[in-house]
Amino acid sequence: MDHIQLDTLYLPVITAIIFVPILAGIVLFIFPEKIKTVKGIISLIIAAPVLYFSYDIFAQKNMAGKVSLMDGITIKSQVINAWLEGVGKYTAINIDNLSKLITLLIGFFGLIIVIYSLVYINKAKGIRNYYPYVLITLGSSFGAVLADNLILFVIFWGILAITCYKLIKGYDEESSAAAKKTLVIIGASDGLMLLGIGIIWKISGSINMSELSITTTDAIRNLAFITLLIASFAKAGAIPFHTWIPDYVKKAPASSSAYLPASLDKLLGIYFLARICNDVFILNQWLTLVIIIIGVSTIIIAVMMALIQHNYKKLLGYHAVSQVGYMVTGLGLGTPLGIIGGLFHMMNHALYKSGLFLVAGSIEKRTGKEDLDDISGLSKAMPLTFLTGLVFALSISGIPPLNGFASKWTIYQGIIDFGKTPGVANQLWIIWLSLAVIGSALTLASFIKFISGAFLGRRREELKNVREVSIAMWFPKVVLALICVGFGVFATNFVIPKTFIPIAGDFQYVGAWNSTTISLLILISIVLGIIIYLAGNIKNFRVDDSFVGGETFREQTGFASTEFYKTISNYKLFSFIYRKAEEKWFDIYDLSKNIILWFNKKISLAHNGVLSNYAIWILAGLIIMLIFLI
Amino acid sequence: MIMEPLIPLYVILPLGAAFLIPVIGRLIKGFQKTITSLVFLFLLGLSIKFIISGINEPLSYRIGGWEPVAGIPIAIYFILDGLSIFMLCIVNLIAFLSGFYAISYIKKFTAENNFYALFSLMVAGMNGVILTGDLFNLFVFLEIAVIASYALVAFGIEKEELEASFKYQVLGGLASLLILFSIGLLYWNTKTLNIADIATIVKTGAYNKILIFSQLVLLAGFGLKAAIIPFHAWLPDAHSSAPSPISSMLSGVLIKAIGIYAIIRLFFNMFAISHEVALTLTTLGVLSMVIGSLLAIGQWDIKRMLAYSSISQVGYIIMGIGIGLLILTTNGNKTIAALSIFGGLFHLVNHAVFKGLLFLSAGAVEHRTGIRDLNKLGGLSGKMPITSSSSLIASLAISGIPPFNGFFSKLVIIIAAIQGQFYWLAGIAIVISIITLAYFLKLQKNTFYGDVKNKIDNIKEVPFTMCFSMIVLAILCVCLSLLIIPGIREAVIEPVVNTLINKANYLLILSEI
Repeated sequence: MDHIQLDTLYLPVITAIIFVPILAGIVLFIFPEKIKTVKGIISLIIAAPVLYFSYDIFAQKNMAGKVSLMDGITIKSQVINAWLEGVGKYTAINIDNLSKLITLLIGFFGLIIVIYSLVYINKAKGIRNYYPYVLITLGSSFGAVLADNLILFVIFWGILAITCYKLIKGYDEESSAAAKKTLVIIGASDGLMLLGIGIIWKISGSINMSELSITTTDAIRNLAFITLLIASFAKAGAIPFHTWIPDYVKKAPASSSAYLPASLDKLLGIYFLARICNDVFILNQWLTLVIIIIGVSTIIIAVMMALIQHNYKKLLGYHAVSQVGYMVTGLGLGTPLGIIGGLFHMMNHALYKSGLFLVAGSIEKRTGKEDLDDISGLSKAMPLTFLTGLVFALSISGIPPLNGFASKWTIYQGIIDFGKTPGVANQLWIIWLSLAVIGSALTLASFIKFISGAFLGRRREELKNVREVSIAMWFPKVVLALICVGFGVFATNFVIPKTFIPIAGDFQYVGAWNSTTISLLILISIVLGIIIYLAGNIKNFRVDDSFVGGETFREQTGFASTEFYKTISNYKLFSFIYRKAEEKWFDIYDLSKNIILWFNKKISLAHNGVLSNYAIWILAGLIIMLIFLI
Repeated sequence: MIMEPLIPLYVILPLGAAFLIPVIGRLIKGFQKTITSLVFLFLLGLSIKFIISGINEPLSYRIGGWEPVAGIPIAIYFILDGLSIFMLCIVNLIAFLSGFYAISYIKKFTAENNFYALFSLMVAGMNGVILTGDLFNLFVFLEIAVIASYALVAFGIEKEELEASFKYQVLGGLASLLILFSIGLLYWNTKTLNIADIATIVKTGAYNKILIFSQLVLLAGFGLKAAIIPFHAWLPDAHSSAPSPISSMLSGVLIKAIGIYAIIRLFFNMFAISHEVALTLTTLGVLSMVIGSLLAIGQWDIKRMLAYSSISQVGYIIMGIGIGLLILTTNGNKTIAALSIFGGLFHLVNHAVFKGLLFLSAGAVEHRTGIRDLNKLGGLSGKMPITSSSSLIASLAISGIPPFNGFFSKLVIIIAAIQGQFYWLAGIAIVISIITLAYFLKLQKNTFYGDVKNKIDNIKEVPFTMCFSMIVLAILCVCLSLLIIPGIREAVIEPVVNTLINKANYLLILSEI
């Protein structure tokens, strides 16, 4: 791609969208917690123009290229100039179609979350300095996406880990453990990235992503790739580095979950994956195979875990992992179709998953319950929440004509297309395809549980005072739901050609699919169905209580929809695996923790506090040194 | 050679304060606090002035004004070059902040005069070690510093403190013995005690087994002071038992001033180092780094955890410097060696700041709750916002999370290790950094997160002087990151690296004798 020189007029804008939110966040720290609403409104005042400017950057079709943040700064002082000499190289940023798209999405989610939080984050949720961290997250995400220099990227990446840690309130043992786990895993990925960056610097003499094109031919180059891959997996939440997400979302406020693990972390993780797979490294076929295997196993394993969850936030958390599998698979294919599918799915996922978390937050706000077993029949009480939740649920399950279907369909096509070319991973395309489709079916299965559990059935007695949430909380959901529908309906005519083809290149669909036509057909069939229903059946419709195995139906009985899924967890082989999973046998965090603590025990045994032993160590150390060197 | 009359102030002022405090402190209330704070603030300002004006060649001061006889230096020289001013700045910074912090903290002890007198004496010793150009004089100042620290560790005079101090004295005595023994050997071999003079003789001398022997004995002795594994066993007890401002001095600067500084100064500027010794030093550094952190992660006492973590972080510093030394001894790329040494020194100043801060905030927690056991603490973030946020900043900094200073020094060390093709060391450094993150988050989780335990329900933030020191250090944790900027690095740390790499620079002090 030939770079057109970046218009210097835009440099201040770019600098501003990164640093204004960060600085505003830092300033907001100073103000007391009592004026939380004021802080929220200030955040809103900042987030809205930031969205406008990120759209502005996105809309400049011809603007692309590299520039250093320092170029825009002119300092009169000679001393400071001398100090800053040489910094420019480390502040390189890169604007291309991919980073422009992600920039827009970040700006969008930033605004949505701030609006939702205005009402949602009240005293009871009391996270200290919620808005400052939200703003710092916003600015740092822009920084990470636009950074070309890997060190600049890592810095922003690390700041995001800290804000993620601070956006969950550690009010009890479980939540503080979740916060700790989150920062350990993301921080570890940050550290590993340093190793990769060091190696890249060593072998290619540059750490600007746009200047790199590294072949993965020998062990050390593969190592560099794998460290960066782990970083992106840890952020996005692919197996086996996903385990922080379910714990985090279970305990964090829904707006934090919707903000970081559901949208921004996904955007950034997958963005970085796309960068390293397509720009920084040239993958060999074995690496492709590894990525695809991780992708499909993420889909299946996480959705299996989601099926048995009772806590609806945790259920959403496992889905947030499972969907990453599709993106990883799509990007792992490396073909234009696959990349488009992966990125499109990333965008769609951010839309519906943050929407789902906002739905979950609304339910929690009004009912105060976190378990699917404790809620039911909210559809009448919270109609907008129900409808938007339904759209999101259908979308994530890949039901046409919604956006989730459009992107999954693109990925399926990509896999079929991928099978036509030679390669190890290519030969096995049918396996990848079938697993991806099964994963989608299981997603539907678990979302039926969520929708029917929360919204359908008989409303419980204690929930009868539940009302719809206020406008600041339903408006973001409605916007997200409308976009979900819109992106689905206009996928092939508008969204893919306008947005994604400039990023990944043109391609030919394997199968025929025109989203708008199909949507029209679906719409017509639904309308016809309603007409038939109204015309013929309305009088004969019979209302009765549900059939509960012949027993008398008691008013207070509700169906715990989770019961239906016991079949899976009771199945012998699965029950064993599930039990082990609950005991954290497969959690990389707990595994490594146990290993390290084992070492710790062994070494601690030697430190028994006996002075003469310590003196002996010293002499022994001295003698060993002498023996070796003299 | 340029004479600089202000140099002796670094020793005279704290030493004078140490003697005046027991005398005048009885008569004038608050004298001890004021005088120590003023002295260290003044010395800090003086150091900053020297750094800003830039020291291109070493400045010196001849004690007693003794003229050299027949080209042989007789007087004891105080030498101020890039490395020493760098160390002095760190020492006096932490000394000022710890002393200021102690104003409120030490109220619970009875003998405030003794505390400040010992404190000043310890700093005088450290400043002396850093400045002196004479090997035996170095030993004397070292003893002044450590004997003051023995007393300070035992300051609480409970069973635990006395036991720790006793262990510290026995093992410290062993170290002094080794150091003195080695100095004796060197004197016997070279007939001089002036470091620069020894350096010229050692340089011309052929391979000498006695020299290697004395190098290793010195390494063991100073290694004990710096708490490098396997010479570390005294540290966890001593550093956790001392009053918190003292812990912060011990972990933050004492082990560096009399341990690492002495090793660096003697091994770079005095001895002609062989590859094997460089390898030994690096190995010891890596061992400390790994074992220290593996020990720290299982601790449930806040200050013990911090003490073990000091061992691990000292390992990083030694590793960075050791890699530089290895590259120099194999005639590798000097730029990479300089980068690696820069990383080590950068980590040294960073560690002084964040470990000092961590001990101060642990002290603040202990001050208010009286508890050091992580199992019994919890939920303090709401009650002590300043302590909790400064402790969090320090924890993230020491674990190498951007944008704090620890990240950048680790970055430099890792990049230098990879550039020098020590891939394994880079890998180990990263794994240890992850473990560090894990145990510091354990500390955060158990102290500041979670439920508020009943017993500690009724507490508030610590008084102003304690908060002030913690806030300043927390700000430094962020601002020291700026040292990574090439221009600032050249102005501040590059002179230090140059003193180490260009041995000839140090020998300049002999030039005009």
